[in-house]
Amino acid sequence: MWRQHRYKMLFSLLLLLTGLLLAVNSGNAKHSNAFDALDILGEGTTLLVAIGWLGLIISSRPAGRVTEWLYYGSLLLVYSYFLDLLDEFIRYPEHIRLMSWLESLPAPVGMLILTYGLVGWHREQRAINRQLRGRELFLRDHQLIDPLTQLYGIEYLQAVLQREIELHQSQHKSLSLLVLNIDNFAGFNRRHGMAAGDTYLSRLSELLSSQLRHSDVVCRYAGDRFIAVLPNTALKQAQIMAQHLRQQLAQLADAEHEPMLTLAEMAVQQHSAQAALQQAATVMAQAKTAGTVKFQPS
Amino acid sequence: MRRRHFGYQDKVLLLQHGCTELLALAQRRGAALHKLLSGSSIFAQDLHKPLGRLHHTDWLMLLQNCRQQVNSPELPYLLGSALLNSRYISLCQSLQYAKNLRQALKQLYYFRHQLFPCFYARLYQQQHCIVLEFKPALGLANQQAFMLTALCALLLGLIKQQLGTLDGISLQLQQSAESPALQQQLFGGINLSFNQVADSISIPLALWQQEFNHANAAEFNAARRTCRQLNRVLPPQRALPERICRLQRRALPQLLSQEQVAAALGLSSSSLKRQLSQHQTNFAGLLDEVRRDAAQQLLQQGHYSNRQLALKLGYSDEHNFRRAFKRWTGLIPSSFKGLFNFN
Repeated sequence: MWRQHRYKMLFSLLLLLTGLLLAVNSGNAKHSNAFDALDILGEGTTLLVAIGWLGLIISSRPAGRVTEWLYYGSLLLVYSYFLDLLDEFIRYPEHIRLMSWLESLPAPVGMLILTYGLVGWHREQRAINRQLRGRELFLRDHQLIDPLTQLYGIEYLQAVLQREIELHQSQHKSLSLLVLNIDNFAGFNRRHGMAAGDTYLSRLSELLSSQLRHSDVVCRYAGDRFIAVLPNTALKQAQIMAQHLRQQLAQLADAEHEPMLTLAEMAVQQHSAQAALQQAATVMAQAKTAGTVKFQPS
Repeated sequence: MRRRHFGYQDKVLLLQHGCTELLALAQRRGAALHKLLSGSSIFAQDLHKPLGRLHHTDWLMLLQNCRQQVNSPELPYLLGSALLNSRYISLCQSLQYAKNLRQALKQLYYFRHQLFPCFYARLYQQQHCIVLEFKPALGLANQQAFMLTALCALLLGLIKQQLGTLDGISLQLQQSAESPALQQQLFGGINLSFNQVADSISIPLALWQQEFNHANAAEFNAARRTCRQLNRVLPPQRALPERICRLQRRALPQLLSQEQVAAALGLSSSSLKRQLSQHQTNFAGLLDEVRRDAAQQLLQQGHYSNRQLALKLGYSDEHNFRRAFKRWTGLIPSSFKGLFNFN
């Protein structure tokens, strides 16, 4: 996890280093008999605990908005405690107020930011609890989750797909997509009501995410279209998975075989998420016109 | 005397005409009913009364709560299509049985106080399209984009359903795009542009006369009769800002004073001022808007000199007009014209 945060760590090191340089530059070292052991112990412990928080955040959280808040809040705390500890060893001249400001101001601000981040974490956790596995890959932003299906939407898909394309191409692995379209969903909504449509969507997304592997991610591309990213999967494998899905999806249909679903698979050879998604739209259009790929759940 | 305009606190909206659909959508997306209704004067037990009503303050509150509780960008689209297919709204039923788009839109415009009192529209022809330009009829605060999206989703849903195609239709929106790719998908892949000078939808002439799939004169007349009956409880009224804008527009190049408008509407000048402040607007602001729209329309339609435009819009000289135009659009009139002709 920490690999995602390399720049952040570098930035924090630089920040602490500038603090140290500033302190050394503006003050003189104290004599060893002027040290207060109890103070050093107390302030040293708070600094260590704050650094521990920073480490926990870095090692346990994926990149995202909430992580940023948590991280920078803790960083300000660490910065403040670090300077606090330094002044046990260094005496500043009376007329330089900068160091005492730098010591006391970042801590409360950091606390506020950290609290805000924790509130965000709480909300995020509630959103995640409702969300099953197989629905996210590397990025986390609970504001992008569709509340009905608990799936991520188009923006998330674009971000994830772009990264997966780059990863797969650098490692010469194959990446595939599954595209699922609900045919004439507006008509279904019209005949059976919006409530029935919503129920169908949430059942469908439940089924999709339970039938795919944990490494796959299903996103709701549009109101009536779902796209699953299958990392490390060749087209052959994707076809088998599509076949399997078709059998499973059959149990969702009602007595009148409604609504009809179209499922298509494609291998990603494009170099950008945009191009790949355009290709997905074309593949879906072809699948819709060609009756062979269309299936009727029975 | 029959009151011809309604205020912010007048209960002119039916709960069944949008509110219940919106609440159901939000509830299915995990929001709690008491949180959705908090801050409004709606009671949960009134929701299913057939003629229960609410006023605009409540409606805006409700929209705000929904957006706070439910983080779903597709909500306005769903609301639009839920309205279109609602069995309780005879106006929407009648739209689907109309002979063609022309009749449907005429019907919608005539009875708009039953569904969308917050907008009024202006029609004009442009090359091979008829353009419908939407104007907010009252202060919608920050919910204007939501309501407009719902309205457009309803119209496009109707066209798609009855004519089977959205080819050639384009939509221009004033709002800035939050996530253009998503909006594009939700609007069904029509030609969509953001940050435009006006909210408008342009529909090719060919689509206006094409017969609807479910055209049925008898059903249409029956639904229209129900709409007329509903008019008895919900008389056709317009919002105050819309009425003022219309009066001013008609009077151009003369400019009506606040007292003249108040007299024409049967109000006192101070109560006009008070009511406008409820809509978060003021008299001068409305007049400015009217002149802006008129200027843009004139520039789009013909080749006028700045002097002619200034005269038509009631400016004392062309310099004042030029300055005002630059304030509205950031462009001088001639470059606006160039921009438009280029398109």
